[in-house]
Amino acid sequence: MTTKLTGGGAKRGVRPEYAVALGLGVALALVPLVIPESLTILNLGFFTFLYIAQGLAWNILGGYAGYISFGYAAFFGLGAYTTALLWLGGWPPVLTYPAAGLIAAAFSLVVGAPTLRLVGPYFSIATIGVGEAMRILMLNLDRITGGASGLNLPTAVPSKAWFYTASLLFAAVAFAVAAWIRGSRFGLGLQALRMDQEAAESLGVQTTLYKNLAHVLSAFIVGACGGLFATYFQYVHPDTVFSFTESISLVLIALIGGLGTLWGPIVGAAVFYAVQDYLEISYPTFHLLAYGVLLIFILLFEPKGLAGFAGRIWRWIRMSPGWPGRPQPVERS
Amino acid sequence: MTAAVLALDHVTKRFGGLVAVQDVTVEIPAGHITGLIGPNGAGKTTLFRMISGAARPSAGRVFFQGREVTGWSPHAVCRFGICATHQIVRPFMDLTVLENVAVGASFGGVARLGGHAPRDEAEKTLEFMGLSAQRDVPASALTLAQRKRLEIARALATRPSVLLLDEVLAGLTPSESLQAVALVRKIRDRGVTIVMIEHVMHAVMDLSDRVLVLNYGRLIADGSPEAVTSDPQVIEAYLGRAAEGA
Repeated sequence: MTTKLTGGGAKRGVRPEYAVALGLGVALALVPLVIPESLTILNLGFFTFLYIAQGLAWNILGGYAGYISFGYAAFFGLGAYTTALLWLGGWPPVLTYPAAGLIAAAFSLVVGAPTLRLVGPYFSIATIGVGEAMRILMLNLDRITGGASGLNLPTAVPSKAWFYTASLLFAAVAFAVAAWIRGSRFGLGLQALRMDQEAAESLGVQTTLYKNLAHVLSAFIVGACGGLFATYFQYVHPDTVFSFTESISLVLIALIGGLGTLWGPIVGAAVFYAVQDYLEISYPTFHLLAYGVLLIFILLFEPKGLAGFAGRIWRWIRMSPGWPGRPQPVERS
Repeated sequence: MTAAVLALDHVTKRFGGLVAVQDVTVEIPAGHITGLIGPNGAGKTTLFRMISGAARPSAGRVFFQGREVTGWSPHAVCRFGICATHQIVRPFMDLTVLENVAVGASFGGVARLGGHAPRDEAEKTLEFMGLSAQRDVPASALTLAQRKRLEIARALATRPSVLLLDEVLAGLTPSESLQAVALVRKIRDRGVTIVMIEHVMHAVMDLSDRVLVLNYGRLIADGSPEAVTSDPQVIEAYLGRAAEGA
């Protein structure tokens, strides 16, 4: 039902691109079968995939539609708490994830209705306010959230391999959603409204509806990720799951990887988490400096992030004389 | 006269104390090219914005094919069948020319196109507008004349009954402008009703079946190009009054 219109230069390479994604997914899914005892690897995978899923989700609104939100911790936190409370109420954890997504999505509508009318930095600032307000609200609702002491959750949980696979599945779903949107009429509308909202409106794009749809979809995914995180961590605390750092992380992942690109959040999340994981032990907080430097370079030289940089190198290789599959120069007049 | 496709009923727009458009009542018949002229700041673009839904009239009503469209948002008005181009062209810079037009084809229009239809429609429109050679070029790489064409192509891809053209000739060289005039005529021949704001007088006189003149927000003349240009009020608006005793 959808038409392949967007994606520019990637148009011809769509199929191989998805084949690569599928191959990568399958290969990663086999990891727990090969090394079920390697908890370090499984943990690393779990968090990386969780960030990939969220980065991809954030990118739907932030990258495709151009609404840079600093408030996604609200969705993550709501998802985490929804799962926590339902789980404590006797629900099986797996069933709580969709519920976590739904609560986050519902909240995104409440937030989006007023804030998505703002544009550019005004929207971003408003979302910071929403995110922080949620954190403080949750800290003070201690009857429900456990307040400053948090909530301890049941300790009977599946294996690390299970979490690894679940997280990979979340990332795969997020990738599929992001890939579908990029090639769809919906995605075309989001891109149009990012570049010029008024022009998009005048050509029949229901900009308000589309922005809210993008917001709801991405909030759903991030909420479900929050739920998965809660079951993994077996403990939720407002300062952890509603933290501003969580919100910033998603922005950084998309920016480092490549705003509005399909592969950006995947590359971004992998780099982001690898850097953090590697540096945090030996040099705490040093990773922030690394992100800062990376961010400056990206904003200055490669607005499409690492994905854009990789694409540039790939084109350069293909165009170099020695490459066998070098395309003939296109005549354009 | 054929039935009015577009009708304005005592339309007024105030910005604080400034009355940008005052009490304009006019009927636009189907299939005509109507020129809208007037000095800078006369309220021409504001009038367009009220028709297309980008601005809400302070008073008065807008009818399209007998149906009131006042206060509907631009995307809704576009789907009814009124599409406006922008005075300062606003292409989606990072999209290709084809994708730009595909936005109009996918989202505009009374009936939604499914499957490959939007793409085919976009290709046809590019062909019609003479932009096929640029289809895969990003809009940011186009010249001004091409961007103006793209602006019209995008609007045309929404398959409008009424096309509002806001200064599509401004900034074009004489030869580009001649081509554009021919295009406007071709669009009219497809059965599209055109209202055009234009400062290039010979083009307005050449193209228009009828000319409306706005000055300080008021409609001061309405008639055939010849009648309007000899109207003393119009001459005064454009050239000023002869100095007394001079």
